[in-house]
Amino acid sequence: MGSDVIVVIVVATALAFDFTNGFHDTANVVATSISTRAMPPRLAVGYAAILNFVGAFISLEVAATVAKDVVQPDLITPLIVFGGLIGAIAWNLITWYFGLPSSSSHALIGGLIGSAFAANGADAIIGEGVMGKVMIPAVVAPVLAFVVGGLGILIIYRIVGRQRPGLVNSGFRAGQVLSGGLLALAHGTNDAQKTMGVITLALVANGTLSADHFHVPDWVVLSAASAIALGTYVGGWRIIKTMGSRIHKMDTAQGFAAQGSGAAVILASSHVGFPLSTTHTITGAVIGSGAAKRVSAVRWGVAGNIVVAWILTLPAAASIGAVTYGVTRIFGTGALGPVVVSVAILAGSALLFARRAARGPAVTAPEAG
Amino acid sequence: MPPIAEIVSGHDLLQVVWASLIAGIGVTAAYAFAILGAARAVDLTRSGRSGEAVVFGVLCAIALAAVAAAVVYGIVIMTTK
Repeated sequence: MGSDVIVVIVVATALAFDFTNGFHDTANVVATSISTRAMPPRLAVGYAAILNFVGAFISLEVAATVAKDVVQPDLITPLIVFGGLIGAIAWNLITWYFGLPSSSSHALIGGLIGSAFAANGADAIIGEGVMGKVMIPAVVAPVLAFVVGGLGILIIYRIVGRQRPGLVNSGFRAGQVLSGGLLALAHGTNDAQKTMGVITLALVANGTLSADHFHVPDWVVLSAASAIALGTYVGGWRIIKTMGSRIHKMDTAQGFAAQGSGAAVILASSHVGFPLSTTHTITGAVIGSGAAKRVSAVRWGVAGNIVVAWILTLPAAASIGAVTYGVTRIFGTGALGPVVVSVAILAGSALLFARRAARGPAVTAPEAG
Repeated sequence: MPPIAEIVSGHDLLQVVWASLIAGIGVTAAYAFAILGAARAVDLTRSGRSGEAVVFGVLCAIALAAVAAAVVYGIVIMTTK
């Protein structure tokens, strides 16, 4: 009974993380469409929310990786999963507060690793899985998106460079509805699955599901898809501002190239089960499409801050995850620890939201219409 | 820990690289050709060269069809694994 209560808390926390994932990450997906005025902000966010929901049903490869290849499932308890989730949520909230587009995915995996390490030491971590399916793809994906985005925009300029700007801009603005939709779909295939993987891991740890016959229950898919879609709809305006205009000012062709290349990399990675960061990938594509036009067009200082946030994400989330696990164990192995920590994180979130709201909206979004 | 070459699935990583390059650059180029076709078709129609305008209109249609086919193919591959 006690362990079932913990699993309920873990599932609720995982869905809360999924919501913050949508809130935090999916803004990156729509930023380019908004900054080039291909779509009004509210419409872009609603459109992305729907396609995130749809994307979550397309594949389960990433969920399998998170559930089986990062930590040893037989050494995991629901409390460890809870610690990992809190590590990820706390880091997401901190980076959201400061407007940094860090990776929710790496925060989740970092939190899980830290919590598992605190509980069982290095034996609980699958080093090969972390390196081969998380770390190396994490480096390859943004570089690949940078290259594809850069080559894409060079080819576009070569093909349409001598045409009248008005028609070309209109064409690429329309194209961004497609490329932005694909990017949102890709985000759903990769990011919603991470939550599915974590919930499945908790269910296996609790004995609710068999570890020998891995499958993600339908209710897990549906609830994760709904949570990320809802988070997306609520939106994260500070990060939209960073992604959409601070890195470099984009034209519609660059927006199209960045979104198209980002979607291609994420979809290809989801297909083979790499739990990528959509933030890393789209940022790589945005920078690539800017640098290919003119290296000085990219605000490298802002890009550098983003890289620093990336580097910090895994160890920071791991540390918070480890501390959270330690704090919950102070209260024993029952449900009291997770309840106390949940209340604390809710209070902390409310404080951050209140401080953020007091500063006013981070970006002045033109009204749809 | 085994060497990196054993840890990373080279096949999977290579698949991601080539699929991203082909899909990302291919779709981008095809869409650019669609815009080129549309822009040239409009300009040529205005200047009364309707024969050439039709050729560019066909280019636009083929390029758009290629984009649509690539998107559908990609989603079908994702859903049928």
